Amino acid sequence: MNNKQIQTYSIGFIGITIFTFVLTQLPESIHIFQSERAVMFALLLTIIMVMLNEVKEARVSADSIFLRTIPGLKAVEEAVGRSTEMGRPILYVPGIMDMNEVETVAGVIILGHVAQMTAQYETSLDVPVARSIVMQAARESCKEAYLTQGRPEMFNEDMVHYVTDDQFAYAAGVNGIMQRDKPAACMYMGKFYAESLLFAETGNSIGAIQIAGTASQAQIPFFVTACDYTLMGEEYFAASAYLSRKPELIAGVKTQDMVKLMLISFIGVALLSRALSDLGLTSFNLLTWLGL
Amino acid sequence: MFLKRYIPIGIVAFFGSLTLFGWFIDNESVEAFVNDDATQWYDIIASFAIFLGALNLLKLQFLKVVKRQSGWQYSVVAIASFFFAFTIGFFMKGAFFVGEEVYFTQGAAEQAILASGSSETVKAVEWGAHISTEGGLFKWMFDNIFTPLSATMFALLAFYVASASYRAFRARNFEATLLLLAGIIIMLGRVPVGSLITPWMVMYLLVFVGTIFMANYFKDRKIIFGSFVVGLLGVTAIGIGMDWNPTERAIFFLPSLQEWIYTVPNLAGARAIMIGIGLGIIVTSLRYIFGLEKSYIGDQ
Repeated sequence: MNNKQIQTYSIGFIGITIFTFVLTQLPESIHIFQSERAVMFALLLTIIMVMLNEVKEARVSADSIFLRTIPGLKAVEEAVGRSTEMGRPILYVPGIMDMNEVETVAGVIILGHVAQMTAQYETSLDVPVARSIVMQAARESCKEAYLTQGRPEMFNEDMVHYVTDDQFAYAAGVNGIMQRDKPAACMYMGKFYAESLLFAETGNSIGAIQIAGTASQAQIPFFVTACDYTLMGEEYFAASAYLSRKPELIAGVKTQDMVKLMLISFIGVALLSRALSDLGLTSFNLLTWLGL
Repeated sequence: MFLKRYIPIGIVAFFGSLTLFGWFIDNESVEAFVNDDATQWYDIIASFAIFLGALNLLKLQFLKVVKRQSGWQYSVVAIASFFFAFTIGFFMKGAFFVGEEVYFTQGAAEQAILASGSSETVKAVEWGAHISTEGGLFKWMFDNIFTPLSATMFALLAFYVASASYRAFRARNFEATLLLLAGIIIMLGRVPVGSLITPWMVMYLLVFVGTIFMANYFKDRKIIFGSFVVGLLGVTAIGIGMDWNPTERAIFFLPSLQEWIYTVPNLAGARAIMIGIGLGIIVTSLRYIFGLEKSYIGDQ
């Protein structure tokens, strides 16, 4: 972080604090602000401020942002290549939830990038879905990917097909596809529950290279155990930026790190404040003052 | 271009901002929209979309049967099951009451009355309630076909957990060994026998694990074996010196140790992942609201 950024963020943060304070002090007749959520509001505005500033800077000099290598995303191309060599399809599972889950949306976006690769390599792609709206969104994403790669003739809308809404019936259907078609690569990107291990172990048994990505915390251990690569939590949300290399998306990843740094600093200051308060050295406690 | 690109982005930006900032606004109409209306709109759209899914499913299964693709026999079962569930859900009430008794068809109910010679009349359940009436055809199908099949899939997890654990718990490197140790302590600490195991036994276990750690860094088997023997003798000597007092070294008491692993290192790691996920979700959502991420409308 350079001096200019520190200056920008400091001024911005002071402005946000004043603005939030003013909102809490509005007269009763025009008071529509939930004052007890003021800290959350200030934090949200801070994140927005950091993101917009990072996007602005990234558009000027995108190369200055370092994006560490994520093995799971590097392996996506390797998996597509492997499928091409073996002449077998790629199976892509975008989770079992609907488009109102941000993980599913992220899964559909990554599918677009995977579809671009399958179009380049002329490899077949199979996307069984558990929700009708996801089916439509995934089809649109794949269609656009094949068009941008100049291979519209390779796109077949049945490559994205509906199986069922029910969790275990869907698991049975996808496992059946795996056993019959023996895909060379299986990718699981979305929101998963108990079926995660059913997918991953079946994929393992057929010898497919497996890449998983999810923010479902309880399923991460299963994927780590049974898959070759796993995108955990924030890595999964960074996937779109990593694969597209668009400056404004990479700026989003940097925003996450900046906010994380701020949160770590806040946790440190809050701990110190609480310790000093508990030791009786000061009567001020930051957490109590903020109403947290 | 305008219709396909800018209008969807505008809709996402407007409703996204409204939902996001609506949470901070103290107004009944806004709160009702954020908490109820928006989700109900989604449910309505999703309900209509199910027809697309069902038609796609039928189309693919029919094609499979017609083209005799591999596994077409399963498609026959899928089509038959679809129409069976569809018929008894939409066109058959499947629950006719004669007193407390329930019959699948009106004919069966009337025959039962004739056979018993009672003066009871046949009462059919209301449409809508017929799918959840105990003893009805749809509920029977759900309880006796669908639920056992789902339970079978769920039960497979037990075997998959075993095979996945076998791979995860192989002490190949430092991290895997740490996982193995934590797994053993948590598994033993959570069963009744865990509290009966003396802390000294746990110390012996730690000697084994320590040796596995060493094996990652020292290739000389004599050094590893020597350290192992020294460790065992050391624990034995300390044990004898302390008269194998089971109340000593409470830190190695398995239930306490597993509780500590579960509530301290495990929780800390889980929270770190949660913070990362939370930030990821916030930033990803903001990217959609501000129109920075357009892949969801096909813009690659």
